[in-house]
Amino acid sequence: MAGFFVFLCGISMTDKRFSTVSGIAGAGLGLRSGHYQHIFETNPSVPWFELLSDNYMGEGGLPIVRAEAIRDLYPITLHGVGMSLGSADALNVDYMARLKSLADRLEPTYVSDHIAWVSIDGQYTHDLLPLPYTLEAQKNIIDKISQAQDILGRTLLVENPSSYLMFNFSEMSEQEFVGGVLEQTGCQLLLDVNNLYVSAQNNSFSASEYLAALPKDRIKEIHLAGYENKGDYLFDTHGYTVRDPVWRLYQETLEMFGAIPTLIEWDTDVPDFDVLLGESKKAQMFLDEVA
Amino acid sequence: MNKGMSLLELQRLFYKTVFDSQSPENGEFYARIKTTVNLSGEQSVNIYKDSILGGLTDALFSIYPVCVKLVGEMFFKHMVADYLRRYPSNSPDLGDYGSEFSVYITDFEPVRELEYLADLVTLEWSWHRAFNAPDTLAAGICSIADLSTVAEVDQGSIHFVTTPSAILVRSIFPIHQIWQVNQEDYVGNGIVNLDDGAVCLVVWRNAAFGMRIDVLSEQEYEFLQAVTDGKSFSEIATLPCASDLSGILGRCMQTGLIAGFTLVK
Repeated sequence: MAGFFVFLCGISMTDKRFSTVSGIAGAGLGLRSGHYQHIFETNPSVPWFELLSDNYMGEGGLPIVRAEAIRDLYPITLHGVGMSLGSADALNVDYMARLKSLADRLEPTYVSDHIAWVSIDGQYTHDLLPLPYTLEAQKNIIDKISQAQDILGRTLLVENPSSYLMFNFSEMSEQEFVGGVLEQTGCQLLLDVNNLYVSAQNNSFSASEYLAALPKDRIKEIHLAGYENKGDYLFDTHGYTVRDPVWRLYQETLEMFGAIPTLIEWDTDVPDFDVLLGESKKAQMFLDEVA
Repeated sequence: MNKGMSLLELQRLFYKTVFDSQSPENGEFYARIKTTVNLSGEQSVNIYKDSILGGLTDALFSIYPVCVKLVGEMFFKHMVADYLRRYPSNSPDLGDYGSEFSVYITDFEPVRELEYLADLVTLEWSWHRAFNAPDTLAAGICSIADLSTVAEVDQGSIHFVTTPSAILVRSIFPIHQIWQVNQEDYVGNGIVNLDDGAVCLVVWRNAAFGMRIDVLSEQEYEFLQAVTDGKSFSEIATLPCASDLSGILGRCMQTGLIAGFTLVK
């Protein structure tokens, strides 16, 4: 057999194993594939990393090996978009089984997804779509979250999505919808402050009133990211540094709820690792002020 | 009071509005959206539509970089636009999306002249799948080290098993060369002679997570195809590749392409 060409694209494999680290605190970072090498070479001082679970749903290969290597060095959480918790479809139990297997393997502090829907009739958009805030939609997502928690054997964190529209037949506000979901399922909230700001601006509601309506002890994690001002609306690109109004809303959130573990997300045009690190240090300064 | 609709109705209508911009029902959906100062219902939905179609397009860009390079980014976007509508994603894993792109390309008139393109796309899909393939053999498969324990009388019942990532690809065009000259780190004159003839390939990942595309002889391809088809050792021994069976088997075991076996009596 004529060996044609070989591509070695892995991290250096060693026998050294570290004990698994658990529990999150402070300002962490979303792990992005372009930063693996830098992290393994420099062991940066980052309190924790969030891994996108949907990037590790393959059955094997380098991604999961790298994820395990990160897990051995830092506390981690798993965050995904594939559960489609708000869909009228039945929960995809194959996906949930794969996610459970991943969570069992990586032992994250938290597993999270969104208060949104992604699929209908088994067809996936791979995007987070808005729900009507009706009793029917609320009951549906409560059932799905309860089922997901049973399958995973753990409490889920659910995140408020960015939204660009609301339905004119909604029966309650988003914060009432979210509050009911938390109360009925026992799940916790991953409060995305950037999403809240974007949604509030796009749909003309008060972010401060939204925060005031949230149950005080149920927010276990915060997300921060950068949006893009498109003129007629704000677009949640996760492609910029955190904007000043979001930093202000973040301060307001911390003053209201205390020092909650916070994550910097960056998904498009991902910059050098040090840019993300700078953002997490800024978040840490705000956390230190309320600690 | 605005008239509502069930969650199922709403989500079906939303999906249809995104993937079928000409649907007469779209107006019904726009009417359920609370308009803002700046945006109509349709404009609000278009934000989601652009995001969804953009995300799926980006996924195909990342799986098929050589195809993108060959046809150009603008044309690739044009080429995939109808694919997104005709081939919905049926998996929550975005990595599963794009499997039918080679079939779609075969019927895509504007690239008919690029006869090798569909096979090249198959090669890129194989690379993508091999990269994410399982690391270990399924339960119940014996390791190659256990071959010595098989009694001589049972050897014909051996069913060899390839490493989980191995995917066989063949083409009447030298697609491996086209793939190679379009890699970022390629150094050379970039010339590929399409008349070089047919090629048999195996795309796979070795034990050190190194991705490989190996060129196979016709006999090696026939052997590995027979293994993949679940043929027993005694059945394989009747094929033309049997003339060099020990040589082929030895090489496949040495490289790790043949990773195990089962005994089916």
